[in-house]
Amino acid sequence: MIQLKALITKEFKEAFRDKRALMVAMMMAVLAPVMIFVGSKTMIKELVETPPVYAKFAGAEYAPKLMKQLKAANILSFADVPADEKILWDERNIEITIPDTFAQNMLDGEMIDIILRTDYSDKAINAPIRRIKDEIRNYARAIGYKRLLVRGVDIRLLRPVNLIEQNTALPSSNAVFISMMLGLYLLMAAFMSGLPVAIDSSAGERERNVLEMLLCQPVSTLKIVLAKLLCASSVAFLAVVLTLVLTSFSVGFVDLTKIGATFSLDAFTVVVLILLMLPICFFASALQLFFSFQAKSFKEAQSTVTMIIMLPAMIPMALMFMDDKPKWLDWLPVSGQSLLMEDLFKGIPINWAAFGTTSLVTIAMTVVLVVILATRLKSEKVVLALS
Amino acid sequence: MIEVNNLHKSFTASKQKVKALDGLSFVAKDGEITGILGPNGAGKTTCLRTLYGLLKADEGSAVIDGINVSDRPLEARARLGIFPDKFGLYERLTAYEQIDYFASLHGLHGAAKKEAIEQVIKDLDMQELAHRKTQGFSQGQRMKVTLAQALVHQPKNFVLDEPTRGLDVMSTRVLRNYLAKFKAKGHCILFSSHVMQEVAALCDRVIIVANGKIAAEGTPQELCDLAGEAVLEDAFVKLIGSDEGVAA
Repeated sequence: MIQLKALITKEFKEAFRDKRALMVAMMMAVLAPVMIFVGSKTMIKELVETPPVYAKFAGAEYAPKLMKQLKAANILSFADVPADEKILWDERNIEITIPDTFAQNMLDGEMIDIILRTDYSDKAINAPIRRIKDEIRNYARAIGYKRLLVRGVDIRLLRPVNLIEQNTALPSSNAVFISMMLGLYLLMAAFMSGLPVAIDSSAGERERNVLEMLLCQPVSTLKIVLAKLLCASSVAFLAVVLTLVLTSFSVGFVDLTKIGATFSLDAFTVVVLILLMLPICFFASALQLFFSFQAKSFKEAQSTVTMIIMLPAMIPMALMFMDDKPKWLDWLPVSGQSLLMEDLFKGIPINWAAFGTTSLVTIAMTVVLVVILATRLKSEKVVLALS
Repeated sequence: MIEVNNLHKSFTASKQKVKALDGLSFVAKDGEITGILGPNGAGKTTCLRTLYGLLKADEGSAVIDGINVSDRPLEARARLGIFPDKFGLYERLTAYEQIDYFASLHGLHGAAKKEAIEQVIKDLDMQELAHRKTQGFSQGQRMKVTLAQALVHQPKNFVLDEPTRGLDVMSTRVLRNYLAKFKAKGHCILFSSHVMQEVAALCDRVIIVANGKIAAEGTPQELCDLAGEAVLEDAFVKLIGSDEGVAA
């Protein structure tokens, strides 16, 4: 016990005195709320606002009423484009051609061809095109309805079926984009924050020639690994808690009601998230220690172990594209936690069986990694790699 | 007491088998300083690493105070003070914290630990260094900290692997004086070095190792007589160059 206490104390002292590594470790916790704040603001802006669209009109003078309606919908003439956006809209090049026969054809009740010409493959102008098309259709539909009405035809005849859409989404599931970002950031924080500490206490110690000295002491390699694991995972866990606290604080500054969404991290959600992330912090650190102890140098450890942090980013992304998720994904580390977080954020009741299984599997895999690592540290290969 | 019996150890490098130890045997007695001399690649560090229990011998055994290292490595290490080939320091810890850390790893605690740390700091005259972080320490200062952390638990046996490398005269003297004091208290000291004058001045017995086995053994004077040379360095070169008939 004296040995383990000494090992743990030393690891914590070293980790918390390395200000630069600690700063990198905590960067994730600070970065996540800022990114979520900015991301939410941008999304609300896109959903709520209708920014001006500038189109090059030919024959605008032939359809003044149509032009008035388009103007009301913030679809303006290219002549009005502000100087700073001129190049952008010139490149987008949306052309609308109104024929000179517009007024006469309208009078005669003949079909009028308005040409909308642009590069439809450009994703950036999807939204402006959709707005132009909707507005012209609305204009045409309104005139069509009036024509039928004055002829004594009930316009309801044009709608034999009326589709009534009812949104059953809970208010909080409208904030899914924030939740998904938070889930991703929590996993990233667990994997990224302990990284500098894990590498420094393994490959770093080897490079500084202190590992051999430690391995010569009358202390079991299991205790050495456990102390290093506890330290790295504590830093990771601290970052996860900090991410949660700062995110709930920063989201408070975003008015989600504008898009009919609510987002709040109540005590229950926070506790569940913390319990969910705790085994992941240990698993991530064990994985990092495992690989960085195998590395021949600090630099090699950095490049190898950095690849591991791709895991939390890749797995939730891959899950998003999978329609039929195999059952075993519920139990595996990272994927299990990711799916449970998704449910939690959508307001779906927690599947406690999956919660327990994924946590147990994560802990079991961590234990296996620790035992293998402790055995490897006794091997001659590791000792020979010291010099 | 440290006993090495018929140690054999081979490594495979680039599909080639290299014999590092080839039946090495010697005894380092309590109250004596035993020196291991040998050219580079003779097997000194491999022998010492086998003593620490870091490497397993293919054949033979290393015994420390009657404890077989390969059977009970932790117990054997508890009886050792180690000054390794390459020593590094925890640069974010103070010298005191490092010594404290190693004292705890050897099971010292409470007042006894505090007393032991203060004693070793006093003995090595490093009171001024004690509460400074070791980052930026000179080679001599680093040596003192490593020595202190290896000796804080007052081990019965002390193994040093080329400890004077890179040290100035003053630091070498501190080390020599400390080893002499340790010897006087009846401890067993095993000392590997390249510096002939140092071995001649300090060691009671010298073991010359070449190609993984003993080339010659005896007091510095005995070795000089054996080789028919006046200076240990010349004797060493002669003994390493033609060990035929010498080991007999």
